[in-house]
Amino acid sequence: MRSILRASALCWAVLLLGCKEPPRGPRYRGDGNAHARAGGTLVVHHEADVRGLDPATSYDEVSQIAIKLLFDGLLDYDYELNLIPRIASALPTISEDGKTFTFHLKRGVRFSNGRELVAEDVRWSMEHMLAPSTSSPGVGFFSLLVGLSEFAEGHSPHVSGIRVLDRYTIEFELTAADQTFLNAMAMPFTYPVPRENYAAHPTDVARNPVGAGAYTLEEWEPGVRLIFKRNPRYFEASTPRADRVLYEVNLQRESAFLRFRNGDLDHAHRFTPADRLFLRRSTQWAPYRVEGSGGDIWGLAMNCEMAPFNNVHVRRAVAFAMDRERWSRARNYALRPIGQALPPEIPGYSTTLSSVQSFNRARAREELALAGYPNGIEAPVTMWISEGATGTLYAELAQADLRAIGIKLEIKQVSFSIYLQQTARAHTAQMSLAGWNQDFPSAATFLDILFHSRNARPADAENRAFYRNASVDALLDRARTERDSVLRRNLYEQANEIVTRDAPWAFLFTSIRIEAYQPYVRNYRIHGLWSEFYRDVWLDLPRQRVAMRAAQNPWRNLAALMPFGGL
Amino acid sequence: MDPRAWRRFRKNKGAIVGALLVLFVTLTAFLGPLAAPKDPDLQYSEGLDATTGLPVAANAQFRMGADQLGRDELSRLLHGGRVSMQVAFGATALAVFVGLAIGVATGFFGGVFDTATMRLVDVLLSMPFLLIVIVINQVFDSPSLAVLYVLLGLLSWTTLARVTRAKTMQVRELEFVQAARALGMSRSRIVVRHVLPNVIQPAIILGSTLVAQIIIVESAMSFLGLGVRPPTSSWGTMLHDGVGFISNAPRLVLLPGALIVAAVFGFNLLGEGLRDALDPKS
Amino acid sequence: MLTVIGRRSLWAIPVLFVIQTSVFLLLNALGDPAVAQLGPRASAAQLQNWRHQHGTDRPLGTRYLEYMGGLVHGDMGVSHQESRRSVTDVLETRLPRTALLGAMAIVIEVVLGLLLGVIAAVRRNTLVDTGVMGVAILGISAPTFVTGLLFLNILAFRFGWFPVGGYGVDAMDHLRHALLPAFTLAITGIATYARVMRAEMLETLRSDYIRTARAKGLSEFRTVVVHAVRNALLPVVTLVGLSLPIIVSGAIISEAIYAWPGLGRLAVESITSRDDPVVMGVVLLSSLGVVIGNLFADIGVAALDPRVRTDG
Repeated sequence: MRSILRASALCWAVLLLGCKEPPRGPRYRGDGNAHARAGGTLVVHHEADVRGLDPATSYDEVSQIAIKLLFDGLLDYDYELNLIPRIASALPTISEDGKTFTFHLKRGVRFSNGRELVAEDVRWSMEHMLAPSTSSPGVGFFSLLVGLSEFAEGHSPHVSGIRVLDRYTIEFELTAADQTFLNAMAMPFTYPVPRENYAAHPTDVARNPVGAGAYTLEEWEPGVRLIFKRNPRYFEASTPRADRVLYEVNLQRESAFLRFRNGDLDHAHRFTPADRLFLRRSTQWAPYRVEGSGGDIWGLAMNCEMAPFNNVHVRRAVAFAMDRERWSRARNYALRPIGQALPPEIPGYSTTLSSVQSFNRARAREELALAGYPNGIEAPVTMWISEGATGTLYAELAQADLRAIGIKLEIKQVSFSIYLQQTARAHTAQMSLAGWNQDFPSAATFLDILFHSRNARPADAENRAFYRNASVDALLDRARTERDSVLRRNLYEQANEIVTRDAPWAFLFTSIRIEAYQPYVRNYRIHGLWSEFYRDVWLDLPRQRVAMRAAQNPWRNLAALMPFGGL
Repeated sequence: MDPRAWRRFRKNKGAIVGALLVLFVTLTAFLGPLAAPKDPDLQYSEGLDATTGLPVAANAQFRMGADQLGRDELSRLLHGGRVSMQVAFGATALAVFVGLAIGVATGFFGGVFDTATMRLVDVLLSMPFLLIVIVINQVFDSPSLAVLYVLLGLLSWTTLARVTRAKTMQVRELEFVQAARALGMSRSRIVVRHVLPNVIQPAIILGSTLVAQIIIVESAMSFLGLGVRPPTSSWGTMLHDGVGFISNAPRLVLLPGALIVAAVFGFNLLGEGLRDALDPKS
Repeated sequence: MLTVIGRRSLWAIPVLFVIQTSVFLLLNALGDPAVAQLGPRASAAQLQNWRHQHGTDRPLGTRYLEYMGGLVHGDMGVSHQESRRSVTDVLETRLPRTALLGAMAIVIEVVLGLLLGVIAAVRRNTLVDTGVMGVAILGISAPTFVTGLLFLNILAFRFGWFPVGGYGVDAMDHLRHALLPAFTLAITGIATYARVMRAEMLETLRSDYIRTARAKGLSEFRTVVVHAVRNALLPVVTLVGLSLPIIVSGAIISEAIYAWPGLGRLAVESITSRDDPVVMGVVLLSSLGVVIGNLFADIGVAALDPRVRTDG
């Protein structure tokens, strides 16, 4: 009896100590400053790691988030994806034939080492990036520059199509009126860097970045965190922003979200289903939650050179078999079903394509019958995915949808690097779960890369469906140099339509970005192109702790003792 | 079995509970598929809530609710035990057998054999498990379940071997064992009569711990592409998948978790009961 | 005793050699690290350049000899990551953190495990015994990824008793942040030690010499603590010796959940990003831990029971 009393006393002690309402909304609010103020440390995180900080070579999402803080370029996009000048004083003047672009630079822009950034630096940075010794993944975006091949083969020390006209003026000449050139010029590959820094750090420039950006790198512990410090020499240094950005990497989703709710992290993104639902249903977090389009496309890539997918009817059957609404539901509506090669915000997206790749089990069976499989396909099909729970979930959804039309799907789960190598190899992977993110807001970054026959190389294909269609190639090549934006949009729409009908991929969805920030984080918006863009944020400090009500009814605390009190 | 041992066993409440639990878990695992009300791999769209996409709670159609893809949780539990118990039984039996044999042999005989084997243990304990799994997955194109539990068994015997060895060395030096040796009792009789009864205790405890660990490890491995392949279910993978829903649908963690606990508890109690029953000292 | 330690330390050399060689070969069987490092958008030229820079395009034998040669001189190579830090440098920052976590975990599991085991044995077949053993079974069956998240959610986030993950800024802060991850790490150990200890205690308490001790009129406390516990400790000491590698692998999950930047996280990061030199370094450290742990276990066993020869 005494032990029971003691035990219950202990339980009550626990209850009383924990006698607070489980916090549902933000724990801190801002100070209420009406005007933007400088100062404070913005603490943000990512579940993956920064690979490197050299804009010429770093081409992954996480590195680019950091690069956007350290560097700035001639051009950029505003939040609605319009091109805007940054280091350039205005958008470039374009010649009559559309082949020559002239940029004027702002005066007095400085690198963080104090030296003035001039036209010669822009040229050096471009040539450094284009040089074969740098082996930048960005070279392909500038393939139409005059004199590039002479430069690449070592016949010329400079790219003749890049000309410095005076200290603040630089001109680019192309062999054709490439309409993606300005998009390419807004990519981080072109960001000006000081050559003296590369001379000082021949092998490790990626860890000693010097740029003309809003922040400088103060500290970097690889795999753990980076600290950025406000750059007082930035050309927009007078705009108030946080003094420091502390960027923690390799954080796990569940615990990162708890730290966010505890006020230890200032921005949250990428959630487990439970946390995403919590955010979406929480009224207290609603003012600080933002949603935006992921700018990506996901689908099942089917190898057009391998049976049974060398038959267009089989591919169409797969595309018809996918119950995209159900996929969306199983991901708690964090994705938007789609049945074509482009996400809605990209010019070339078609509003009339809705029935070509949509869920229709009867049509799927008809297509299978047309292909000569009226009773389904006997031999199982193998789908490659890389490791991780999300991939498995999608694979299981696909498995169930295909089973319903009589196709048995086997799943081959391998490490990410093996997945990348093997799916890029001809006659290797029958089917793979594939996704692609936009490089810039143009159909070219989807259709050219994923479906142009020139990218169906046998050993290192980006066109992992090994889809070849001469008319698609022709449309894409024409669109790339078409100056009239309406005509260009039309060409891309036609290409999109052919690809969607030929179904090298069963197009499935584009993701929805859901993010939240603390009430004292101001001026954070989802950028249409850049993931987690922190440059313009300022902090409404000092933050105030939100008073928590003591619970009225102690029994309610029983709920707090359980992990399941979600809302 | 010795009738007296059987009587002792029957009188031991813990042993009976253990035996019942093991019976329950084993029956669930091997006869469960027959009792499953639904196809465990079929994804029902009504299994997911239309507004949130959350798995629905228990209702008339899904007696234990649905899982994150709208499949019947009860049917998946009933089907999932087979893989979990096969792997756990197979790998644990292998690990306990190898561990006991090597532990007793090294502890009893000592010398060069002991030294060399213990260094092998050092090597095995140091191998990064994650790496081995990834490599095995690549070497065997589609490794079967058998490969999985042989692998797990071969990697898990080391702890038991070291504990058994230490215990054997201790027993070997006891007066009555020394005396038996001096009297010319054969080595195999000494091992059976004196050493084994002493090392069986830690073997039972570590063995039932292994059951739990192997069920969990199996789920981690299936995320690396080794072991059960979707859509086949196992208790470990169900538990793992459920964690993301812990605040919305805790049963996705609790149900497979409870079965794993039952298995571990059962094996432990049964093992201890058997030991007590067979050990005339007690 | 000293010669035993000396001999065992010499034995460490072939053991570490075998481990390093096999891990080197295993990593090599995994395909091209360049692809894993540079990601899906790398160009063929970039991959080629990377291989050349990091020397992975050279023959296996050359690389192996070079690595082993470096190792003899204490040079573990340079990380494949673009930060190009030396592996020694990387390990130097990460090791103390995991060591802190591991040391706390071992203390917690030994103290709590033995205490619970002894209590359960002394009070056998009472409610206390059943309760302790029931909790121990739960502790063994619940995987770290569940217990870790629950503790973080309830004890840290809801009750605010602990920091919600992270590493802290100064020594005291590190300790405060380490408590919960260390406890999570210790759960399996607590449960195992408690059960093994209880079983051994029961065995010992039944043995003749304890009966003799009781008969001699020694107090129950002295009988239990001085005689029985000492005798029952043997398998536990062996287990503690084995716990170092278990701590490193357990740290993988605990460190991930509590955002603790130690070796466990490094192990996963380096294997998934194919930072081979760092993987080799982490394996070298953890195998050193195994060798030292086993050595201590053998010494401990010999110290507890001098009749046992430890020449292994």
